[in-house]
Amino acid sequence: MGVIRAEPARMTDWAARSIGAAWRAFDLQLAAYAGLLATLGLVMAYTNSVEQGQTVLSGGTTFVRGLMWTGIALIAFVITTAFDYKWLKTFAWPLYLLQLGLLGLTLAIGHGVGGASRWISIGPFDFQFSELAKILMIVVLANYLGARHGNLRSLPSILGACVLVVPPWILVMLQPDLGTSLVLLAILGGMLFMSGASLRWLGAMVAIVLASLPVIWTYILRDYQKARINAFLNPATDPQGAGYQLYQSQIAVGSGGLTGTGLTNGSQNQLNFLPVQESDFVAAIYLEELGFIGAMILLILFSALVWRLLVSGWKSKDPFGMMFASGLASMILFQLFVNLGMVIGLMPITGIPLPFISHGGASLISLAVGLGIVQSINIRQTRAEW
Amino acid sequence: MTPYLDGRHEYSRPNTRFLVFGLAMILAIGGLTTRLFYLQIVNGGQFAALSEGNRTASEAVPSARGLIYDRNGVALVKNVPTFAVKIRPVDLPEQRRDEVVARLATLLKMDPADINGAIDSNPGSRFDLVRVATDVPDATARLLAEAGDALPGVEVVIEARRQYPEGPLVSQLLGYTGPVAPDQLTDLKAKGYLPDDLLGKTGLEAYYETDLRGTYGEKTVEKDAAGRKVQDLQTVQQATSGDSLTLTIDTKEQALAQKALQWGMKAAGLKRGVVIVENPQTGEILAMVSLPTYDDNQFARGISAKDYAKLLADPNKPLINHAIQAHYPPGSTYKLVTGTGALTDHKISPTSRVSTRPYLLLGRTKFWEWNHRGWGAIPIRLGFAHSSDTFFFQLAGMLGIDRLAHWAKQYGFGARTGIDLPGEVSGIVPSNAWKQATFGEQIYPGEVYQAGIGQGYDVVTPIQLINAYAALANGGKLYQPQVVRQIVGPDGNVVQAFKPKLIRRLDVPRSTLKVMREAARNVVLVRHTYNLVDLPIVVAGKSGTAEFGTRDKQGRLPFHSWFVAFVPKNAAKTSADPSGIKAVDREDAGLVVLAFAYDSRTKGNAATEIVKYYLQLHFNIKHDYRNFNLLERGNFYQSN
Repeated sequence: MGVIRAEPARMTDWAARSIGAAWRAFDLQLAAYAGLLATLGLVMAYTNSVEQGQTVLSGGTTFVRGLMWTGIALIAFVITTAFDYKWLKTFAWPLYLLQLGLLGLTLAIGHGVGGASRWISIGPFDFQFSELAKILMIVVLANYLGARHGNLRSLPSILGACVLVVPPWILVMLQPDLGTSLVLLAILGGMLFMSGASLRWLGAMVAIVLASLPVIWTYILRDYQKARINAFLNPATDPQGAGYQLYQSQIAVGSGGLTGTGLTNGSQNQLNFLPVQESDFVAAIYLEELGFIGAMILLILFSALVWRLLVSGWKSKDPFGMMFASGLASMILFQLFVNLGMVIGLMPITGIPLPFISHGGASLISLAVGLGIVQSINIRQTRAEW
Repeated sequence: MTPYLDGRHEYSRPNTRFLVFGLAMILAIGGLTTRLFYLQIVNGGQFAALSEGNRTASEAVPSARGLIYDRNGVALVKNVPTFAVKIRPVDLPEQRRDEVVARLATLLKMDPADINGAIDSNPGSRFDLVRVATDVPDATARLLAEAGDALPGVEVVIEARRQYPEGPLVSQLLGYTGPVAPDQLTDLKAKGYLPDDLLGKTGLEAYYETDLRGTYGEKTVEKDAAGRKVQDLQTVQQATSGDSLTLTIDTKEQALAQKALQWGMKAAGLKRGVVIVENPQTGEILAMVSLPTYDDNQFARGISAKDYAKLLADPNKPLINHAIQAHYPPGSTYKLVTGTGALTDHKISPTSRVSTRPYLLLGRTKFWEWNHRGWGAIPIRLGFAHSSDTFFFQLAGMLGIDRLAHWAKQYGFGARTGIDLPGEVSGIVPSNAWKQATFGEQIYPGEVYQAGIGQGYDVVTPIQLINAYAALANGGKLYQPQVVRQIVGPDGNVVQAFKPKLIRRLDVPRSTLKVMREAARNVVLVRHTYNLVDLPIVVAGKSGTAEFGTRDKQGRLPFHSWFVAFVPKNAAKTSADPSGIKAVDREDAGLVVLAFAYDSRTKGNAATEIVKYYLQLHFNIKHDYRNFNLLERGNFYQSN
C-alpha cells in the first residue's frame, strides 16, 4: 500500500494569513486549560521539593527542574503551533522511523530501575523517549487513518493500523514498560474508533485480545508486573510488598478529606510512605494535600481540556486533524483514568504518568508538542485552502 | 463510499462517535469522581486515622544502666557514650549487600564475615536495627554518617556502652553486656527489650540484669515509612536509671590474689588456677580470681568472631570462672568431711588412735599410704596433720558411703552454694543412690575408701571447698557466699542491704569442729606444708593433691593441688600461744583463703605456696617465705 503521500508543501501559507486571523482561530481555552494543568504540576513540584527538605530555588530540585521543563515545553508549544502541521503528513514515514529509532536507542543505552531501560541521559537530565514516541505514534496513525478515512470498513485497513503499532509496541514491551505499551494500545483503539472503523471488526479484535490474555499473562508479563496485578486484585495479601504503594496511596488520598491537608503538609509523602512520589504517584500527594475540592478542580480541567481537543478535532476539515486530536484526547483521557485509577485503587499499578502533573520533562514536552500540533491544525482550518 | 478526503473537501464527521467518545469521557471522569468521593468524603476520617497511625509509633527510651563499685567505692564499670554502627536490613538492597558490607568492613577495619554474621543472626525483623559495630572511633563515625547513599541501610547512632576500668582483673566477676541473642528475643521482648538492646550476658551483669537495667521509658515518635525516626513527639514515660551494685569484692585484695596466683602459675608452669578470699564470719567474698581470664572490655566494644572463637577454643577455658563454674576432685582437703563425720558419728573419739600403715589390703588390692610407710597408730589431730590416707580410708570404711555423703552435704558439697553469680555447678557427692542412679550398680568398698580421701567420684567447686572451711573456721555456720554487698538506687538510697545468709548450722558439736581446727593447725605445725609455720601469723589449713586424668608410662597420674587456709582474727603469733592452737580454738577467723592449681606436677604443693604468698602480701610480711624450689616442675609422685 502506497502510504507515503507527498503533499504539496504550502510554504506561502503562513505568510499569507494575517496574524489576527490566526489568533482568532487559536483555541485560547485549550491553551488555558493546559496552562493551568501545567501550573498545578509546578505546584506539585514545589510542594515535593519542600517536603523533601530541599532548598526550593537551588539548582537541581524537583521544582527548579519543573520550571526549566515548563519553559522548554512552552517553547516547543510555540514552535509546533507556528509549524504547518501538514508537513507532518509529508514526513510521516521518516517520523515513524524516528520513533522506532528513539525506542531502539532507549533499549540499547537507556537505564532505569531494576534492570529496565527507560531513560536516556542527556547531560544531567534523564529523558524518556517513549513519551515522545507516543506523540509520533499519533502522528503516524493520524496520517494513515486520515488518508483512509471512510475506507475503514475493510479489515485490511484496520489491520494495517495495527501492524503500524506492533513494532513500537514490541520495543516498549522490551524495555519493559507495560504502562506505555498500554497507552499505545489505547491510542490505537481510540483512533480506530474515531476513524469510523467497522465496529464489528473492532469488536472482533477486542475479543481476540481478551482471548489471548492467558498467553500474554504467561509469556509476556514479567513477574513484577504479575505481582502488581495480583496485588491490585488482592490488596490484602501483601500490604508490605507489591500491594504497599496501592495501600499507602489510598490512605494518602483518603486522609485528604474534603479540603486536603494543605500544600507541603502531606504527611504520607513527607515521610516517604509513597515510595515513588516523584513520578507516578504525584497524584496521591495532590489528592492528599488538596482534598476532594482539588480533585474536582483537576478533573474539571482535564474534562475541559479533552472537550476542547474533541472540539478542535470536530472543527478540523482535514481528517488528519480530526484523527490527531482524537488520538491526543484518547491518550490524555486514558492516562488520566489509569493513573488516577491506580492512585485511588481502581486500577493496578502501571507506570503511567498523569499528564501535566507527574514530574517528567519528556511527558510535558510531548504534551506541549501534541497540543502545539492541535493548535497548528486549528489555525490552519479557518479558511479554505484551496 | 466517500472518496478519501484530505481537507480539500468536506468529509462527513463521525458525529455519533464523537458523542460516544464524549460519553466515555463523562463515564470515566464520573467513575473517578465517585471513587474519590467515597475515599475522601465518606471514608475520609478513617483514612486520616490510618495515616496518623502510619506515622506515629511508640519508642522505648533506654534507661541509664546501673554502675558497679567495689566495697570501697572504686568504680568497676562506667557508662561511656560511643558511636555504634547499625544496619537496617530492609534498607540494604540485596544486590548491593556485598559491596556495602565490603566497604563498611574496610572503614571499620572489620572482617566482612562478622558484618554478614551480624545481619544474618539479626533477632528482630528486617525493619529492626542490627548492631554491627560498637565503639567506633569518632573519625570513622563521621565518615560513615556522611557516606549516606554509598552505604544504604547503615546508620550511626550514639549509645552508652560499658567500660570496665579494671579490665581482666574482675572480668570473671563482672561479666559483660552484649547484644540480644536470636533465641532470647521472644522471651525478652515481653519484658520490653528491643532487638538491638544490650543486656548482661554473664557474670554480675547477667545475674543482676533486672536491677542494673532500670526501667525503659516510652515516647511517641514520628516515623517515616522505612521506620526511621523523623522526630520525637512526646515523652509518655520517663526512663528510670538502673540500680547500682556495691560488691563485697575489695579491688586491692583482688589484685593481691591475682598477683599471688600469677606468680605461682608462672613459677610452677600452671595453665589454670583459682584463688578465693572469703570472710568466714559473713560469707562475703573479698577476692575471686580465676586464671586464665579475658578482658570484658573486648566484649563491651564488640568482640570479633575470630577473637571470640579464639577464647572459646582455648583449652584452659578463659571464659569459665573456674572458682564456681567447674568442679575438680578435692583430694585430701576432703578429709575434713571424713574426719568431722567419724567424730560426730562417734566412730572415733578425738583421742582414739588409728593405725596407719604402708597400705591397706582390700581383697587383693593394695590401698597405699602416700608415703608408703605410715606413721604408726595416731589420733585424728595427727592423722589429719600428716594427711594419712590409710587413716582416712579406715574412717570412710567405718562411716560407709551414705554417712560420708551426709556429712559432705552438711558442709555444702553436692549443692550449689547459691553465690550470686551465674553458671555455678554443684559438684558430685557419691552415695549408694547416686551410684545406682548414675551407673546402675552399687558402690564398692574401694570406692568408699577413695571417697574418704576426696578421690574417685568426689568433685567439688573451689567455692564449695572454701565455704566448707569457712564454716569450720567460724564454728559451724555455713553461709551462702555473696559478692554483692548492697544494691543502691539511682537516688543513692540503699535498695537492698547486705545480710549474711545462713545456709545451715552444721549438725556438728562445736567441740568437734574445734578438734578439726586444731588438726588443721597441726598440718602447719608438723611442717606438712614446709615453712608455712614460720610465718609470723597463725595459719591453719589443709592441702590436697588430687589425681585426675590418665596414667603415664610409669603408672603415675597427673594431679591438681589445693590449699585452703584460715587465719584467726588477731593473726600475729603471741608468746602466750606459741603454737597458735589457742588462736585456732577461737571461732573468730577473719579470713579464709583457697588456692587451686590445675595440673600442678610440682615437687611441692603449688597451691600452698600461692596462699603463702597471698598472705605475705595481705599481712604485709616483709620476709619472703616462698620456696621456689618446690615449684620445680616434673613428674613428681603425689605427696598429698
